[in-house]
Amino acid sequence: MPIKLLFQMSVRNILRHRRRNGMMLAAVVVAVAAVVMMNSLIRGMQQDMADAAVENLVGHVKVLAPGYRDDPGIQKNFELASDWRPPDGVAEVAGWAMRVRVPAVIMSERGTRGIQFVGVNPRQEGISFLSSARMAGESLKDASDGRIIIGQALAEQLETGLGRRLVIITQGADGLNREAGFRIAGLYDADGEGMEKFFVFTGVDALQKMVGAAVFTELSIRLHQEPALFALKEILVELFTGLEVLDWRELEPQAAAMFIFADAAVLIWFFVMMGALVFGLVNTLVTSVMERIRELGMLRAVGMRPRSVVAQVVIESSVLMLIGVAVGIALGLAGIFAMGDGLDLSLWSEGVESFGMRTLLRPVPLFDDVLLIALLSLGLGVVASLYPAWRAIKIKPLEALRR
Amino acid sequence: MSDVSVGNGVVVDCAGVSRTYQEDAVPVHALRGVDFQFARGDFVSLSGPSGSGKSTLLNLIGGLDRADAGTIAVDGVAVNALSESELSDLRLHKIGFVFQSYNLIPVLSAQENVEFIMQLQGVAPGERAERAVESLASLGIGELAHRRPGELSGGQQQRVAIARAIVTHPVLLLADEPSANLDSGTTEELLKLLRRLNDDRGISILTATHDPMVMGYAKRRVVLRDGAIVEDSAN
Ligand SMILES: Nc1ncnc2c1ncn2[C@@H]1O[C@H](COP(=O)(O)OP(=O)(O)OP(=O)(O)O)[C@@H](O)[C@H]1O
Ligand SMILES: [Mg+2]
Repeated sequence: MPIKLLFQMSVRNILRHRRRNGMMLAAVVVAVAAVVMMNSLIRGMQQDMADAAVENLVGHVKVLAPGYRDDPGIQKNFELASDWRPPDGVAEVAGWAMRVRVPAVIMSERGTRGIQFVGVNPRQEGISFLSSARMAGESLKDASDGRIIIGQALAEQLETGLGRRLVIITQGADGLNREAGFRIAGLYDADGEGMEKFFVFTGVDALQKMVGAAVFTELSIRLHQEPALFALKEILVELFTGLEVLDWRELEPQAAAMFIFADAAVLIWFFVMMGALVFGLVNTLVTSVMERIRELGMLRAVGMRPRSVVAQVVIESSVLMLIGVAVGIALGLAGIFAMGDGLDLSLWSEGVESFGMRTLLRPVPLFDDVLLIALLSLGLGVVASLYPAWRAIKIKPLEALRR
Repeated sequence: MSDVSVGNGVVVDCAGVSRTYQEDAVPVHALRGVDFQFARGDFVSLSGPSGSGKSTLLNLIGGLDRADAGTIAVDGVAVNALSESELSDLRLHKIGFVFQSYNLIPVLSAQENVEFIMQLQGVAPGERAERAVESLASLGIGELAHRRPGELSGGQQQRVAIARAIVTHPVLLLADEPSANLDSGTTEELLKLLRRLNDDRGISILTATHDPMVMGYAKRRVVLRDGAIVEDSAN
C-alpha cells in the first residue's frame, strides 16, 4: 500500500476544509480535555475514598482474631510482643499499629453514648487519621497515657470539654464489666462527624490494664502503595495462622464498591463524551468522502485497491483524532494544573462527607489513564472511519465517476 | 509494457460483446454483439450518436465494467475471467485512462497527480519524479508541475491527465470524450499531441468522441449505432 501517498492525500484533504475539520478538531480537543480533567478528579475522589477508608483505623491490611468482626470484644484477642515488627523484606510498609478496640459506653453528667474504645500506641498511629486530625488540647503522650481523646462531636453530645472526667464501662477479659474514669486530654476534629462520635482513644497499656489482659484485638498495617497489598497479605497469612488477615476492601466493602465504581466511572465518562463525538466524526468523514466520491472513483478506476481507499479514510480520521487527542490532553493537563490543589467542595460538604470523601476535590492525573484515553480515542477514530470508508468503496468506480 | 512495441499484434480483441443494463426493469441493450479488433499502435476514434454505446465499450475494454456476453482480450489477457483485484492491476499496469472531466486530484500538484499512479505501481521515488517531470515536459507543461489543478486551465488540466495516463507506458490509452470540455483551439493542440504520442511513441489510442476534428486526427474510424458497429474505415 502506498502509505506515503495515502497519508499525503489524507492530510491535504483535512487542510482543504479547514473550517469543517477545525470545528471537528475543536470538538475532539474539548472532549478529550474534559475527559482528562474529569478523569483526574474521579481518580482524586477515588484515592480520597480509599485513603479515608484506610486511615479510618483500617489500614491496608488488618489482622483480627476469628469472630471479632461478627462480635467485637476483648475475648476475641491475640497475643503479640509489644515490640513486634513486620518481617524484613516486606517492602512498601508505611507503618503498623497494634490496638485494643472494644465496644464501650461513655458517660458524662449529661449523657451516655455507645462508642468504640480504642487503646493505641500514639507513636504507631502515624498511619491513621489520628495523626493528621486537628486537635484541641493535647495528644496522647505514649502507650501508657491513661487520659482519653474524644471527638469534637461527641464532646458536644456529652456536653463536656477538655480536662473533664468521663466514665467508661466495658467488658473485661474475664467477662465482667469494668468501669473507670478518664480525663479528657484532647478533642479531635476528623473529616467526618461519624468518626468523631464513634472513636474514643486512650493509651493501649492503660486499656489493657482496664480489661485485665496484655493482649491486642487488631494489628493494622499501612502500605505506601496499594499494589504491594497482595504480597503482604500472603506473608501475614503465613505468619498469623489461626487469625484472620483481611484487606481494606474486605473490611470496608462499601468503600471498596465505591472504589470499583470509580474505575467504571472513568470508562463510562469516556464513552459518553467520546461516543457523542464519534457521531460528529462519522458525519464529518462521510461528508468528506461523498464530496470527493468522483476523485475516489477515479483513483479506483486507474487501479487503486479498495483497501487503499479504506486506508485513506482511516488515516484521515486518525490524523484528526491524533491532533485532537494531543492538543486535548495538553489542554486537560493544563486545566488540572490550573486546579492546583483541588476544588473546594465545602459548600456541599455534608453530602460529600457522607460518601467518605473530603471537602477538597483534588485532581490526580494518572499516566496510565491518560494513555488509555489516548489509545481509546485513537481506536474510536478508526472505528468511526469504517462506515465512511465503506461508503467510499461500496460504490463502483464507474458510478462514482458518473456523479 | 513498452511504448515502442509498434508491432502487428492485437491489443484489443472483442468478440460478440453484449452489455445490457436493467433500467427500471426495462432492458437497455447498450451493446449488441460487437466484434472489434484493435491493432497495436493504432489510433481509433469511436463515434456515433449519444447512447450508441461508446462509453460502454470503452469501459468494458478498460475493465471498469463487465460484459454480459462475448469475450474481450486486452494485450492477450481475457478480461472476462479476471477477478476484481486482477482487473485493478490490469488497469493500473496496462491501461491509461483519460476522462472527459480530467479527474485530477485537487489536493495534489500537477507533478504529484502524475506521480501517484507510479506510487501505486511501486516505482522508486527518484525514478518517479524523473519520469513525471519528463512526462509533463513532453506535453509542454513542465513549468506548471507545481501548480494544483485548480490553478490550471481546462486544456492544461487535460494535458496533466494525459501525462498521468501515459507515464506508466500503458499498452493502451483509453480516452472518453477527452475534448468535450475544451474549445476548438485547445482541442486541436490536444489532438496534435495525441497524434504525436501515437506516431512517435507508438502508443495505441482508442477514443470515444462526437467531435469530427477528433475523428479527423485518428487513423481509423469506427461508428456505433444502437450498440452495434455500423461503419469501420481507415482515414
Ligand atoms: N449504468 C447504466 N445504467 C443504465 N443504463 C445505462 C448505464 N450506462 C449506460 N446506459 C445506457 O446504455 C446506453 C449506452 O450508453 P453509453 O454511455 O455507452 O452511450 P454513449 O455512446 O457513450 O453516449 P454519449 O455520447 O452520450 O456519451 C444508453 O442508452 C445509456 O442510457
Ligand atoms: Mg459516453
